[in-house]
Amino acid sequence: MSGNPGFELQAEGLRKSYGATVALEHADITLRAGEVHALLGENGAGKSTLVRILSGVTMPDAGHMILAGQTYSPRSIMEARESQVATAFQELSLVPNLSVAENVLLPGLHASRLGFVSRSAVLARGKEILSRHGLDRIDPAAEVGTLPLSERQRIEIARALENAGRVLILDEPTASLSETDWLFEQIEKARARGVAILYISHRLAEVRQICTVATVLRNGRSIATVSLSDATNDDIFEMMVGRRVEERPTRTATIASGEPRLRVSGLSGHGLKDISFEIHPGEVLGVAALEAQGQQALFRTLAGLLPVVEGKVEIDGTRATYKGPRQAMRFASGISYLPEERKVEGILPGLTAATNIVLPFLPRIARMALLGGRNEKAAAHEPADNVEMDRRYLAFNIENLSGGNQQKALMGRTLATGARTLLLFDPTRGVDVGTKQSIYAAIRRFADSGGSVLFFSSELPEIVQLSDRCLVLYGGRIFRTFSRDEINEQQLVAAMIGHAGVEAA
Amino acid sequence: MTTASEHQMEQAFNQTGDHRRSERISRETISAIAVAILCVAMLLGARFISPSLGSWSQVETVLVLGSFLIVLSFGQGLVILTGGLDLSLPAVITLGGILATNWVGATDPGAWYLLGAVLLVCAGVGLVSAIGIVWLHIPPFIMTLAMSIIVSSALLGYTRGTPRGAAPDLALALMKSKVLGMPMPILFVIGFVILGALFQSRSVPGRYLYAIGTNIHAARIAGVPVLLVQAMPYVISAVCAGLVGIMLVGYSNGATLRMGDDYLLPSIAAVVIGGSSILGGRGNFLGTVGGALLLTTLGTIITAIGLQIGWRTIIEGAVVLIALLLLREELFQKLGQYWRSSQPASESGSITRRKGT
Repeated sequence: MSGNPGFELQAEGLRKSYGATVALEHADITLRAGEVHALLGENGAGKSTLVRILSGVTMPDAGHMILAGQTYSPRSIMEARESQVATAFQELSLVPNLSVAENVLLPGLHASRLGFVSRSAVLARGKEILSRHGLDRIDPAAEVGTLPLSERQRIEIARALENAGRVLILDEPTASLSETDWLFEQIEKARARGVAILYISHRLAEVRQICTVATVLRNGRSIATVSLSDATNDDIFEMMVGRRVEERPTRTATIASGEPRLRVSGLSGHGLKDISFEIHPGEVLGVAALEAQGQQALFRTLAGLLPVVEGKVEIDGTRATYKGPRQAMRFASGISYLPEERKVEGILPGLTAATNIVLPFLPRIARMALLGGRNEKAAAHEPADNVEMDRRYLAFNIENLSGGNQQKALMGRTLATGARTLLLFDPTRGVDVGTKQSIYAAIRRFADSGGSVLFFSSELPEIVQLSDRCLVLYGGRIFRTFSRDEINEQQLVAAMIGHAGVEAA
Repeated sequence: MTTASEHQMEQAFNQTGDHRRSERISRETISAIAVAILCVAMLLGARFISPSLGSWSQVETVLVLGSFLIVLSFGQGLVILTGGLDLSLPAVITLGGILATNWVGATDPGAWYLLGAVLLVCAGVGLVSAIGIVWLHIPPFIMTLAMSIIVSSALLGYTRGTPRGAAPDLALALMKSKVLGMPMPILFVIGFVILGALFQSRSVPGRYLYAIGTNIHAARIAGVPVLLVQAMPYVISAVCAGLVGIMLVGYSNGATLRMGDDYLLPSIAAVVIGGSSILGGRGNFLGTVGGALLLTTLGTIITAIGLQIGWRTIIEGAVVLIALLLLREELFQKLGQYWRSSQPASESGSITRRKGT
């Protein structure tokens, strides 16, 4: 190892689990000085966990790291920074009500002997740092919270550049940057002065432009480190996904022709750009996308949680005018939403599973204006059976149930609203295999009975298995639509990172 | 073999299931029971201090005095259930009392239907608070405090500092008459408690209140009419306060500008002592009733043994703090989490360090 010029950050056998979930199983990575190293992987492959460990946010359960020949085990971001390892985080770590200058200097504001911070000195030093990284146009006195997201991201990156004497970690640095010139220039400057750079991005074109080596993570393991000039896109997809060919699904639903149940035309706003599609009765339409490509905005708009800015939504040929999920459920044949985050938007802790299921139609089950444990439970029987949830769980406080049973209860509720269009956002996130099968079966039965489903999934096999058609969202647009015969994981991955080259394959 | 092991699993399941269910019941009722026992013990114990205490007539006094707090804390309890707080109660009590004496008592004491108009005015005050909180997103305590100041000042102007008039007949009948030897206010409050408990625990709007109190985002997605349900408790709370104003007028045959002042802290205290979470989403009305009775008993004893009024407030404040500390499971959960998270973190730290060296 000593034969290498410069230094290295070498991580071996890193492992991290959160409770029962293993986020990172075994990751090895070596970053070399003066090299831009890409980290690639699907959602949930362990990229962000690895970044968190390298940047000192969390400590690994096992494994060790060596930086320039010395043990490196930072217990905080500050300790990492002392070793000259700095990170620009995807979810920015700036303090919104402080000035730009204060933010780039934090926490080293260099108080005077009396403990006061000189405002002019802070501004001067902030300005100096900004101009060193090509951001002269940003006013160091401006309050960070008032700046657009892209400027905040540049400031976050500039601060990391300032502190990265040895290692610079950029986690999705282009997530909110529309152009990459400034960023690539800064990366090139840092590389030239001998900094080791780890570059995390979903966008393969970008990675090929700036990086020379790539490490691929899959299911928490580092699969391989390859030289990017030797590996084709197909090779990389295969490493990310794990296999080349996926079996065809065997669903043979009858999709009604004629009037679509849901028609979306020219929907824009909230980051969406001109989204148009139709879903017919009996059809399951999958949505595949990397993180934050507009899928949240699409689902939340259709659910009535966000207003329609531009374009229109029609249900059964009637222009949708609903405001809020309550009206959405009752509009025409109804549209019902299974939310993304079970804990935040799904379950009502402290209430029984039965109440959680029957909440949308409580007035219907009250007898003489009264409810009781019994009629709620009885009304929840059918929805529970529908998702193969054991009826015994209905009387339990939903907080005490496993994630899988909570998800079944929510799925049961979404179905039980009686709406004929379901919006399912990642319906099997974080649940076990058995629960997944129950939820798949419920989705299929619903579609077979003439229901329409729009579902997003972060797991590609699920999209391949369930969808009749599939949309790929990229940067707020429909990048590509796949018919049932065209859907396969590799093509999906290619489209998801905005790579259209393999279209004709 | 498989059936045997399945059977075992089933048994294990049932055991844990029953356990979890009993846990849920106990958590909600335990404080109500504890409070009831404490009430009785205090009444009986008071006999040692003075033989006149702890008698039936004293129980009657506690129930009559407690009826004000029970009615008041029903509304406060609903507000707290949604995670809010109503600080306008004293002003609205006074509003109800003064309107009852000035509008009704002074001109036509027999016009019982005008009391409906009094309650309607109070509901209007609640509605204004609700609009500020729900639609303009003003924090509940600021909004209700502002309403409180506005209403109090308006009343001061309206009465020119000296409220006139007398109690309406209906208010007197409600507070002073007896039916079959039982004081009317006790019968009234029993009916109120039954209806209140059914509303909170068994009605559709009641369930909606719990739903938005535990997770408003989830409730919205589940189709709960969130804005309406959020607004409702402030209106109910104001009506309850107005009703208490009328009851107080009937009890003391007149209104003063400060008649509601002593009821704010006890209305919150009764709810919290009754086992409700101050953060919303948990609690039931029977617990609150217990809390109200406990506070009233405490107040009666303090008065009976001749402690100064200042002590009463001090003790009430202390009781609320203790109840908050003891009954707030969030506190225990946080302590537990803190303790648990501090353990493995240091452990894994030492492992990596050892491996590194």
